Amino acid sequence: MPAISIDTFFACSLMVLLVLSAMAGASKLLYPYINNTDYENIAERYRETSKYLLLNNGKPSNWGQKGQIVPETFGLAKAGSDNPYELDIDKVSRLNSENLYAVSYAQIFTALKMPDVSLRIEIKPIFEVAINLTATYASANDTVYKFAISTERHGVPVQAELKCYVVAENYLETNHVYASNGEAYVNITLSNDVSGPALFVVFAKAVCDAKMVSFGAYTFAHNSASPKPRGTFLRLSPFNYTLEASFIYPEIILSRAYALTFNYHSILTKTESGNQSVTYSLPHFLDPSPTLMIVTGWNSTSFFTEWATYPQIPLQTGANFASSTALSNVFAYTYTVTVNSALYECTVWLGGPRE
Amino acid sequence: MKSQNKGQIRIIEAFLAVLIIFSSFAVSANLTVTQNTTKHDDLASVGLQALMKLDSDGSLGGYIDDGNWTALRAALNLVLSAGVCFNLTVYNEQMQQVNTAVISNGGFSSQEISFVEYVCASRGVVFRCYIIHLQLAVAT
Repeated sequence: MPAISIDTFFACSLMVLLVLSAMAGASKLLYPYINNTDYENIAERYRETSKYLLLNNGKPSNWGQKGQIVPETFGLAKAGSDNPYELDIDKVSRLNSENLYAVSYAQIFTALKMPDVSLRIEIKPIFEVAINLTATYASANDTVYKFAISTERHGVPVQAELKCYVVAENYLETNHVYASNGEAYVNITLSNDVSGPALFVVFAKAVCDAKMVSFGAYTFAHNSASPKPRGTFLRLSPFNYTLEASFIYPEIILSRAYALTFNYHSILTKTESGNQSVTYSLPHFLDPSPTLMIVTGWNSTSFFTEWATYPQIPLQTGANFASSTALSNVFAYTYTVTVNSALYECTVWLGGPRE
Repeated sequence: MKSQNKGQIRIIEAFLAVLIIFSSFAVSANLTVTQNTTKHDDLASVGLQALMKLDSDGSLGGYIDDGNWTALRAALNLVLSAGVCFNLTVYNEQMQQVNTAVISNGGFSSQEISFVEYVCASRGVVFRCYIIHLQLAVAT
């Protein structure tokens, strides 16, 4: 065999071998990234969509303030705000299904104008407040209730100032406590002349930043039967700085109504009174805090306290992705948003079919 | 002589093939870098938003003016998502470090660290401008 043939055979074999191994190696190396590009594009698209929802007003821009209006285009930002990620208090409240003027998921989905994208929104305080009744000491004239209050975020204690309110029939008491390591104990003394059930409300303001305010509420029996779950007697719908209390039963008589924030509280005045509902005017408190409204009243012979917050949070609305993560591309984006000067955590889930 | 030259050309061709293969690897390496940048942008966006929220009412400048590094660390801990490690450094206009204590929630165990630069003006009587460097990583 001539030497040239050996050379040619050797060179060709080497080239074929190298090209084949290079192709195999390159395709193995690039395949996940080529495949991932689609994934990254979807993630980027969803991220921009989630930002759009929180940075745009929607159409009309004041759809939050007008209960009968269903938004044409969905957006939660406060109209005319200079502060990015500042959400409209009424738009947020209308996401809560407990609100009389709530927008349904079908309406949100239509207004989103993205038929291949499902949406879920959750808005909650930056940290949690947990209240537990640990002991009760009854005497002839009064009863002492001992509450354990904890403030934490994802299990980590949060140093906070606490403002406590106790509401019963024609009774309002306030208390100030400091939770240095995210835990505090409060003793509440209620006279046995006061009718319950009573409502214990705690506002917690993070020591490091006054804009981070959370709350908790605990209803307990006092000279009364066990309290009924929230929403048994009234449906409370805060909206455009008014509170509409719709009766669940016809024979309800309302007594006092209160609006509470961390620094302020006031008794609400009725602006409209009908057979099946009463409307109150809500004050504009200059306080970076959610407003907690309490309406007290009687249903035949039993006293009750009902409460709601403005903005009406915590809330979760939209599609449930719990069972569909295997079949869909679901992405979650968490933002810190401002509603009425207070900070909240907003998580937006967006999902679509896996390609 | 002629046949020897032909053999040399084949060898050169083989080297050219090797060159092509290495260039394909170089292209692959660049693609990898692009992916990392996207992930970094995500975390940097979270960090920037956290600083913007703290600065929305002048709190951020207030912490720095007062030298309240403990409160600044606690506020960042609350605003940033759980599992995000951060390390913050504050500089003045002359790029001299202002913070006298470490503003961090632990060491970085991740290789991928995002960086955010934020300029903050204090709202005190005396105008001061601070340059904030925030490094972020996902705890692993």
